[in-house]
Amino acid sequence: MKLAIDETRCKGCNLCTKICPYKIFKEGKKPNRKGTVVPELDRPERCTNCRLRNLYGRQLCGVCQLTCPDQAIHWTEEEPYELHKVAIEY
Amino acid sequence: MSYEDWFRQDRLPHIYCAGCGNGTIINCTLAAVDEMGWKKEETIFVSGIGCSSRAPGYILTDSLHTTHGRALAFATGVKMANPDLHVVVFTGDGDLAAIGGNHFIHACRRNIDLTVVCMNNQIYGMTGGQGSPTTPKGCLSSTTPYGCTEIPFDLCELATAAGANYVSRWTSYHVKELEKAVKVGLETPGFSFIEALVQCPTAFGRRNKFRQVTDHVEYLKVHSLLKAKRDRMLEAGEKIPEDMYVVGELTKRSRPAMGVKP
Ligand SMILES: Cc1ncc(C[n+]2csc(CCOP(=O)(O)OP(=O)(O)O)c2C)c(N)n1
Ligand code: SF4
Ligand code: SF4
Ligand SMILES: [Mg+2]
Repeated sequence: MKLAIDETRCKGCNLCTKICPYKIFKEGKKPNRKGTVVPELDRPERCTNCRLRNLYGRQLCGVCQLTCPDQAIHWTEEEPYELHKVAIEY
Repeated sequence: MSYEDWFRQDRLPHIYCAGCGNGTIINCTLAAVDEMGWKKEETIFVSGIGCSSRAPGYILTDSLHTTHGRALAFATGVKMANPDLHVVVFTGDGDLAAIGGNHFIHACRRNIDLTVVCMNNQIYGMTGGQGSPTTPKGCLSSTTPYGCTEIPFDLCELATAAGANYVSRWTSYHVKELEKAVKVGLETPGFSFIEALVQCPTAFGRRNKFRQVTDHVEYLKVHSLLKAKRDRMLEAGEKIPEDMYVVGELTKRSRPAMGVKP
């Protein structure tokens, strides 16, 4: 699974930066088009739910999603990993 | 299914201020309702007036957004007219304890089968930050510019004394605990009261030295005292600091309830 913040909903309160046990959410730096400073994700692949949701078949942790007052945090299904052909240029 | 399916996605984002704790409480309540496996057609959300009371408008089920303080009166009507319905009430501290105080104590006394979630931000948020019956001593509000001098209500003790079957208190920091408490409330026949202390950055935090939303949530976290710890302190004869909020499951009993199908 992939962790994502919906920029159209986030109001930049920074509550997520406080409660994630892995400190994945970091205070943002630049305001977006709406003027909201949306937090940045620091190596989101560390998130328990990203790693183990599909293996366990249920929601894990999820405190950021429950805490976010603006329903802006969600997980999306990731494309299965595909092997890529690497073209080497000489 | 997940609790996100209970939201009216077309109505989001909601109008609450940035960092307002009400959104968190809606998440936790819906997560608990979702776990109950109830049908949307059999679940009703009722509220009065206030920021907190706007919550049912963001939920897919049938709902009633009623007059100030009267959510419990309307909810009683819904439950008595059709006891098969699951009735959940969202309310604020002003809505429940000020103008609606009498409805509150009598709903507890009758022990009607409702679940009431009170978002206690200790202020009248919607109307510009007037002091409410739960504004703590010394706190600034637009009607107490030199600090509140009155003693606040303890809503949980009030509900217990008036006869509610289930009473618990958590804060917007304790999301998982709150979700579990609401679930137990939904399962318990009779009147279930869950008080959730929340931050109101606009009307309360701004006047009371909480510059950041996270500062207020941190305050709620460090000023929470688990009921088990409180009981141990009482046993040891220690004094409970006045500024601590006792959190946890405070009352659970099975007095005869109204509106429960035999
Ligand atoms: C009969 C009546 N009296 C007064 C009001 C004005 N009023 C609207 S909301 C409110 C206070 C709400 O406070 P609370 O229930 O704590 O909700 P919050 O906004 O803090 O979530 C008041 C006094 C009203 N709408 N109707
Ligand atoms: S908690 Fe939600 S609204 Fe607040 S900053 Fe994080 S994603 Fe944005
Ligand atoms: S005024 Fe307070 S309670 Fe109302 S939406 Fe804003 S932060 Fe929330
Ligand atoms: Mg209030």
